[in-house]
Amino acid sequence: MNEVTSLFLVFLREAWIALAAGFLAFAMLAGIAQMLRVSSASVLGANLWVWESISALLSIVVLGLFAFMGIPQIVNAMQSSLPDAGGCGPISELGTLASGLIGGLAALRMLKAAFATMFSASIGGASSFANALIESGEAIFGMILASAAIPLAAWFLGTC
Amino acid sequence: MFDPIMQQILTIARDAWAFMAGLLIVVALLGGLYFILQGTAGMAFGGSRMTSMAIIGVVGLVIIVLFAFLFLPQLGEMLKNFQPKPPF
Repeated sequence: MNEVTSLFLVFLREAWIALAAGFLAFAMLAGIAQMLRVSSASVLGANLWVWESISALLSIVVLGLFAFMGIPQIVNAMQSSLPDAGGCGPISELGTLASGLIGGLAALRMLKAAFATMFSASIGGASSFANALIESGEAIFGMILASAAIPLAAWFLGTC
Repeated sequence: MFDPIMQQILTIARDAWAFMAGLLIVVALLGGLYFILQGTAGMAFGGSRMTSMAIIGVVGLVIIVLFAFLFLPQLGEMLKNFQPKPPF
């Protein structure tokens, strides 16, 4: 079971690293797209467009900081609240596997939400920061539910 | 496992960056030409406001382009330094 856990976690870690690199690339693309918009709008004399682009640029910076500084801290905090295992034997190993997978999947889901938002900003769409926050909230809620479900399942299935 | 896919995406992203940087230069040059035309016309007609607006426009355009080409790479470096290891 430990090998399966580490295999899954290695897979999820690789996905995290790839997603973080992609996020960074698309953040830069979104930034230059907004700067292009600012320059063309300032030439045309479209004030509102300029301010929209500047606020979009600021939201890109905030989203980048949230993704790279906020999400790992949230995941660390939530993962420390997840019970490792209840009982002993296969239940304990299953609990360890479940808590590791829940943490990894929630972290990836949060980063994926931030990535999708940044991607939409890079192709000129509205950088809907709210969507990333809603998905992050859903992932946190799922982790809280799981932190209650693991000990209950261990109790139900029988602990030593 | 994700590395080959990531390399493909990064190649596309690099191409898109080069395209957009080129487009930004073209837009800035066209904008600069427009402002110079506006300023010249203003000077010819004696429109001081038109000329001063054109000068301000050129200066603003230069600031925007400098901001794009100096600030964005620095922002990228900063975010690269913040790039977190997997927290699980």
